[in-house]
Amino acid sequence: MSGYVTTRAQLYLREEDRCWSSSCQLSSQLQKRQASRSLQGTMNAIVALCHFCELHGPRTLFCTEVLHAPLPQGAGNEDSPGQGEQAEEEEGGIQMSSRMRAHSPAEGASVESSSPGPKKSDMCEGCRSLAAGHPGYISHDKETSIKYVSHQHPSHPQLFSIVRQACVRSLSCEVCPGREGPIFFGDEQHGFVFSHTFFIKDSLARGFQRWYSIITIMMDRIYLINSWPFLLGKVRGIIDELQGKALKVFEAEQFGCPQRAQRMNTAFTPFLHQRNGNAARSLTSLTSDDNLWACLHTSFAWLLKACGSRLTEKLLEGAPTEDTLVQMEKLADLEEESESWDNSEAEEEEKAPVLTEGVEGRELTQGPAESSSLSGCGSWQPRKLPVFKSLRHMRQVLGAPSFRMLAWHVLMGNQVIWKSGDVDLVQSAFEVLRTMLPVGCVRIIPYSSQYEEAYRCNFLGLSPHVQIPPHVLSSEFAVIVEVHAAARSTLHPVGCEDDQSLSKYEFVVTSGSPVAADRVGPTILNKIEAALTNQNLSVDVVDQCLVCLKEEWMNKVKVLFKFTKVDSRPKEDTQKLLSILGASEEDNVKLLKFWMTGLSKTYKSHLMSTVRSPTASESRN
Amino acid sequence: MCGGTAKTTNQPGNWQDSARCVSDAVPGAGRIYRALLRTKIKKHAGVDRSTDHTELDNSWSCSEFDLNEIRLIVYQDCDRRGRQVLFDSKAVQKIEEVTAQKTEDVPIKISAKCCQGSSSVSSVSSSSSSISFHSSSGGSSHHAKEQLPKYQYTRPASDVNMLGEMMFGSVAMSYKGSTLKIHYIRSPPQLMISKVFSARMGSFCGSTNNLQDSFEYINQDPNLGKLNTNQNSLGPCRTGSNLAHSTPVDMPSRGQNEDRDSGIARSASLSSLLITPFPSPSSSTSSSSSYQRRWLRSQTTSLENGIIPRRSTDETFSLAEETCSSNPSMVRRKKIAISIIFSLCEKEEAQRNFQDFFFSHFPLFESHMNRLKSAIEKAMISCRKIAESSLRVQFYVSRLMEALGEFRGTIWNLYSVPRIAEPVWLTMMSGTLEKNQLCQRFLKEFTLLIEQINKNQFFAALLTAVLTYHLAWVPTVMPVDHPPIKAFSEKRTSQSVNMLAKTHPYNPLWAQLGDLYGAIGSPVRLTRTVVVGKQKDLVQRILYVLTYFLRCSELQENQLTWSGNHSEGDQVLNGSKIITALEKGEVEESEYVVVTVRNEPALVPPILPPTAAERQNPWPAGFPESPEGTDSRDLVLKPDKEANRRPEQGFEACSTGCQGPASGASWKPQNAFCGDEKNKEVPQDGSSRLSSCEVLGAGMKMDQQAVCEPLKVEMSTRLPDRSVAWPCPDRHLWEKPPIEKVTFQIGSSTSPESDFESRMKKMEERMKACGPSLEAREAADTAQDPQISRSPFKPGFQENVCCPQNRPSEGDEGESDKGFAEDRGSRNDTAADAAGQLSHAADLGAASHRVAGTAPGRLEAATGLYVKAEEGPVLEPVAASCVQRGPGLVAPANIPCGDDNKKANFRTEGDIPRNESSDSALGDSDDEACTSAMLDLGHGGDRTGGSLEVELPLPRSQSISTQNVRNFGRSLLAGYCPTYMPDLVLHGTGSDEKLKQCLVTDLVHTVHHPVLDEPIAEAVCIIADTDKWSVQVATSQRKVTDNMKLGQDVLVSSQVSSLLQSILQLYKLHLPADFCIMHLEDRLQEMYLKSKMLSEYLRGHTRVHVKELGVVLGIESNDLPLLTAIASTHSPYVAQILL
Repeated sequence: MSGYVTTRAQLYLREEDRCWSSSCQLSSQLQKRQASRSLQGTMNAIVALCHFCELHGPRTLFCTEVLHAPLPQGAGNEDSPGQGEQAEEEEGGIQMSSRMRAHSPAEGASVESSSPGPKKSDMCEGCRSLAAGHPGYISHDKETSIKYVSHQHPSHPQLFSIVRQACVRSLSCEVCPGREGPIFFGDEQHGFVFSHTFFIKDSLARGFQRWYSIITIMMDRIYLINSWPFLLGKVRGIIDELQGKALKVFEAEQFGCPQRAQRMNTAFTPFLHQRNGNAARSLTSLTSDDNLWACLHTSFAWLLKACGSRLTEKLLEGAPTEDTLVQMEKLADLEEESESWDNSEAEEEEKAPVLTEGVEGRELTQGPAESSSLSGCGSWQPRKLPVFKSLRHMRQVLGAPSFRMLAWHVLMGNQVIWKSGDVDLVQSAFEVLRTMLPVGCVRIIPYSSQYEEAYRCNFLGLSPHVQIPPHVLSSEFAVIVEVHAAARSTLHPVGCEDDQSLSKYEFVVTSGSPVAADRVGPTILNKIEAALTNQNLSVDVVDQCLVCLKEEWMNKVKVLFKFTKVDSRPKEDTQKLLSILGASEEDNVKLLKFWMTGLSKTYKSHLMSTVRSPTASESRN
Repeated sequence: MCGGTAKTTNQPGNWQDSARCVSDAVPGAGRIYRALLRTKIKKHAGVDRSTDHTELDNSWSCSEFDLNEIRLIVYQDCDRRGRQVLFDSKAVQKIEEVTAQKTEDVPIKISAKCCQGSSSVSSVSSSSSSISFHSSSGGSSHHAKEQLPKYQYTRPASDVNMLGEMMFGSVAMSYKGSTLKIHYIRSPPQLMISKVFSARMGSFCGSTNNLQDSFEYINQDPNLGKLNTNQNSLGPCRTGSNLAHSTPVDMPSRGQNEDRDSGIARSASLSSLLITPFPSPSSSTSSSSSYQRRWLRSQTTSLENGIIPRRSTDETFSLAEETCSSNPSMVRRKKIAISIIFSLCEKEEAQRNFQDFFFSHFPLFESHMNRLKSAIEKAMISCRKIAESSLRVQFYVSRLMEALGEFRGTIWNLYSVPRIAEPVWLTMMSGTLEKNQLCQRFLKEFTLLIEQINKNQFFAALLTAVLTYHLAWVPTVMPVDHPPIKAFSEKRTSQSVNMLAKTHPYNPLWAQLGDLYGAIGSPVRLTRTVVVGKQKDLVQRILYVLTYFLRCSELQENQLTWSGNHSEGDQVLNGSKIITALEKGEVEESEYVVVTVRNEPALVPPILPPTAAERQNPWPAGFPESPEGTDSRDLVLKPDKEANRRPEQGFEACSTGCQGPASGASWKPQNAFCGDEKNKEVPQDGSSRLSSCEVLGAGMKMDQQAVCEPLKVEMSTRLPDRSVAWPCPDRHLWEKPPIEKVTFQIGSSTSPESDFESRMKKMEERMKACGPSLEAREAADTAQDPQISRSPFKPGFQENVCCPQNRPSEGDEGESDKGFAEDRGSRNDTAADAAGQLSHAADLGAASHRVAGTAPGRLEAATGLYVKAEEGPVLEPVAASCVQRGPGLVAPANIPCGDDNKKANFRTEGDIPRNESSDSALGDSDDEACTSAMLDLGHGGDRTGGSLEVELPLPRSQSISTQNVRNFGRSLLAGYCPTYMPDLVLHGTGSDEKLKQCLVTDLVHTVHHPVLDEPIAEAVCIIADTDKWSVQVATSQRKVTDNMKLGQDVLVSSQVSSLLQSILQLYKLHLPADFCIMHLEDRLQEMYLKSKMLSEYLRGHTRVHVKELGVVLGIESNDLPLLTAIASTHSPYVAQILL
């Protein structure tokens, strides 16, 4: 037999390849379709049942492929090709699809014997799985968008060839001691194969048995080898059941008509079985299971699924930053309100009522449009409005000393009041200034016709005529920026044409108690100033820098919060802690205290709850 | 494998705490690797270990693994000369042994056996014993002075012919690259791994023939090496050996050779070098680098792409010295096979242990095999220069034995090395039980080290190096962009990666290995860390602490099961095993006991469309669910009768487990629609119809008792008169005792009630049959979300009956419960409504109507359908193939369509193509088909064309997950080893002697034969010497000029030292350990953010002006290596700028 095998092996391959190529030519249109389909799906493994036919050599009987969604999220890109196909489909309707089916080489092999692929004369019952005209099987895994498709052969030309190779190698090239058992083989070019060969009892076959194999093909050889123990167990189980079924049939047949005795009586001729019409029996009849192929489809699909999900990873990702958390919380709050309230955005919710109260019609109508464009600062740039584009820009416009004073108050949580007739300007100022603070620390009333208390907002925009209460004017906890129309000469001759719009304004920054020039100030302010000063650092770098600085200080805030608010530790300890954090200077402490108000509820409640849980608080002694 | 798991049930896990051991037992994971992990637990002085840990102090028993049972065979296959054995370690005897043992006759015996009493044995031994090695006149000058041990080479064992045929195959391949094979030989149990290479010849073509001649000379057996198949105990094999190497099979190459070059570029990590990286499906995820790496792996190994070889396939066996140019014409002619055979222990357990180790650690085995191959190449080349035949053989044999000895030793070490029992990071991630103690213990160790060994910045330097090279920690601190609001500030598992694994399976073991070696940056570096020191205790502490920073993903093993019930009359295997496990949920608090039944049949029965004949019959006999529907309806009234009837009717569709919920469902009118799906009969009244809802619960294996309790309550309140109808458990015994069918789940999130309800909900949601939204469900009120998560296959209604439900993650569970709770009101409201509709619908017999009927108020889509259904035109039953077109279509086959009324209710819905062919046996799923098709358009497009396959539902799966311990995270983090070891990601050792010897070659080898199955740019080894207080980094790229040094000294990052100081101070201020660790993570996150800033900075600069950075952010020059390394994980261009 082995001689037979070896001499024929190359023939098998060539034959089928020839058939294959002719079929390819016949259906170029089909190939196009398949190509587009294959772009969408990826296949990481194929399971196939192969048979060594006594007449035709190694044959692929049944083959289950995996089709993956193109993207893990199952969305997006799939649409365009998918829809294209759909349109095409709708046109041609059923006729079209059936025409395609006729041209499909894969199905041609099993479906219509007249079609390319192994010619009818090359096919016998034993070489065939699905009955003529059977379209194959499919199963969907909805969760993962994975589809499992079974045919006699894979429909994709390259996969057809890969499976073919694997089949021939499995049944006529590779040697397994005892001929039944598992082998792994393969190479980078033809893929890697886990093969398990086995016999099926057949009372009419030579030696009373037929030879089969179940193969699993992958390109990831490490994965396949890792899966060996699993695959072996599962495949062995399938084989056991197939063999069990066949054995029952065999025994029944032997009981009815003992072939051995019959054969003893007739002179054995080697080609007896070939002439015998029953010689090439299908696996269905050998197992007496009409649903065998459906069963194998389900089993193979199951095997693929179980193998693919056998090992999963648990991969941790980092905690969200405080800013993200606060934003999410705000969004969630908004969503709760959104039933009654339509189109508000996180920061604008307070703005809406204020705006309606006392702004002229022009601004009123502009309000909603503005609020939507606020989300992306870039969107107003083309309009060449007089706006601040970045902290650096503001610093240039205001001048370093004024900016420093302003920034100092911003960082400390003091109220920042802008008085101007230009709403856009004020808004842009707040958008720029807020980037210095954690999201949770920002409360903006962008434009109001009356003074709002500091507890309501730390950024307040006022129209020029609004009276600011005297205690605020003299307070050291507030800073006021008044925007006047400029005299002819601009304050700062900063040159780019965008600044022209701002040059018509004059900015006066005042506070009840001006920051002493020699005061060191919070560390973060100095670093921000350094970053702003250094023209080598692009705006993006400065942005990233601000993120770093804020997170760095929020991390200190967290520790301080834990220490003082959760654990209520004594003052001396707090002092120690502050020096550990590098924040023992007065301004830094103030800053930390203000920033503490910006901690997310999520974080705070998490800390509180850990403390409440019994195990958490017991620290080592 | 299935059977084996049963054993685990009762095995006490003595190596971890009891709870964990139970959970490990579930899928057999505990069994398999217990031995492996039974490492010597390093007791950290000053650290309290619970006493049960001390029991673990058994080293892994190597009695199960005999070094000498690793056998090496080298074969050559030549066109002209056929196959010849070039080496067989079994045929080699060390001469000392021979002489010493001669009296015992052992080797003689063996030889005699091998040679079948050939008289040549003695002559060989005598002739070779006379050989002693002195300086050889030939080439191998560097070996010349060594005194080689003496060997005698006898005739190869009798099985070599068979083995040769296994290695080469019975048909020669024309394929030019190397091929890899693994064989399992049953008796005696052996595992053979073999590689066949094309030989690359130099000027000395055919020189192996010299070697062969020598052997033949020695053996005086001209037939040696020729094929000889007469004595094969291994069962029937192909005879006619001369046929075996007939003309090579022309394996047609698919013309992909031109793509070879691109094959490398496609490799996952390397592509990160590209400035425009491979388009990532979700670049927004914070863990994008991890994610991307895995995605790429999935893509590059997919069959679609993988047809292009990923690696160059020109791996050849060199028989030429490097200076000689190869002779391409010869390449095809000669092949060399190297084969390593592991004899396995006869004991099943030990055998499985080794096999599991082998297969999971295969990349390491292969890497060492490649080393062995190089040694063989060298030996062959060198020995050619020795003129004298016997000397040549002796030289060759001893070289090979030496290499084999090294291989054996390495494998043995790898297998038996003491492991760190509880790597901090992995344990924190998985073992939530004692997290707090773990934090405390770790922090105590950590601060101790900061205090005690950082005086000269030793520890800071070590940590700097570890953070710089073992980069897998970076993704674990990258902030998530869009956390669900529920998530608090703790780390969470990456959902995107989870989903990726499901939709595009990649190899998690591979991913983990890459993480551990820190090979996630760009360019890809593969890093190991060795801590050297005489003070074992100190070294162990350092190792322990480092396991917090050496991060990798935790692996989970999932066992998918489907319930083995079906209608085909398949035998259900006996001996089902009950496995009890304490299952840890993802949410810390939740824990539940899973009792489950293993041993389902391997052949999964399909749920088949009824045949045409059956279709005519409204109650197709072969159709499982229909009769069940009837039964269940009847059941309520006369359960006993039903119980008896059931088995006869062959209801396999109904698992015993499902009966409980099923009957429960009968008191929940709102579930009626489920039953309706199957019921073809007109119900007598609404509630009896509802009884058919047993389907609902069917999917779940539930404990009878647990289910009963809540259900009974409900029952009594709602329909007290029916309570008698509660099915007695015996009813379910038709195939198995109920206990075997039961999955018993206890736990806050999975109370029976909620299970039940969620199941019901799922049934309802089934109606929605929406597109497969892969997003993790965010809103509990979107009804389909939980459903999608739990029933990956939408098998159709009937199918629920027999399939256990796939357990969703805890979070999902909770949400779905919640969703259910919310729905409940409406459900109740609609209940009466539904009942009314049901009776109405019953007349029509349209399942679709009923289905939809229950839905209104909850599922708009379904409602819509319902209405449409009412108004829809009467259609012919949909052909199966049509139904399949809708991608989302579920199990058309399941639904019998015999009922004329039903047909009447089909409506054209959307543009679903319909096949009018009458051979379809599928009808009623139409309803659902339409629904899903409608809602699922995006998904649907791709399959609508051409493929008209018959859809078969997959059985719904239940997944039992356990922590997997057979992974690199548990095996490559080692403890204090006797000597330096090459593969380990982390280990300690007493002296650097061997390290100095091997390091350079190890690093070079690592680069040439990367275990990651993809090219790497650099191999790195961090060496921390606690005796000299030095931390050095050795790399494969730079030669160290100073001979005394192994590598370059590490620059201590000031970021790291300030981190260490502040953690120490916080600890001293008695901040709780878990908070300190949170702070530590925050600080690591800061480093990540700084690296982001740096990468942004580098976008515009080709040089780093350190001062600028320093002023702004406190980044100093000593931080740069660390920060650029971090940046390379998220911004590949950084490396290009700096390199």
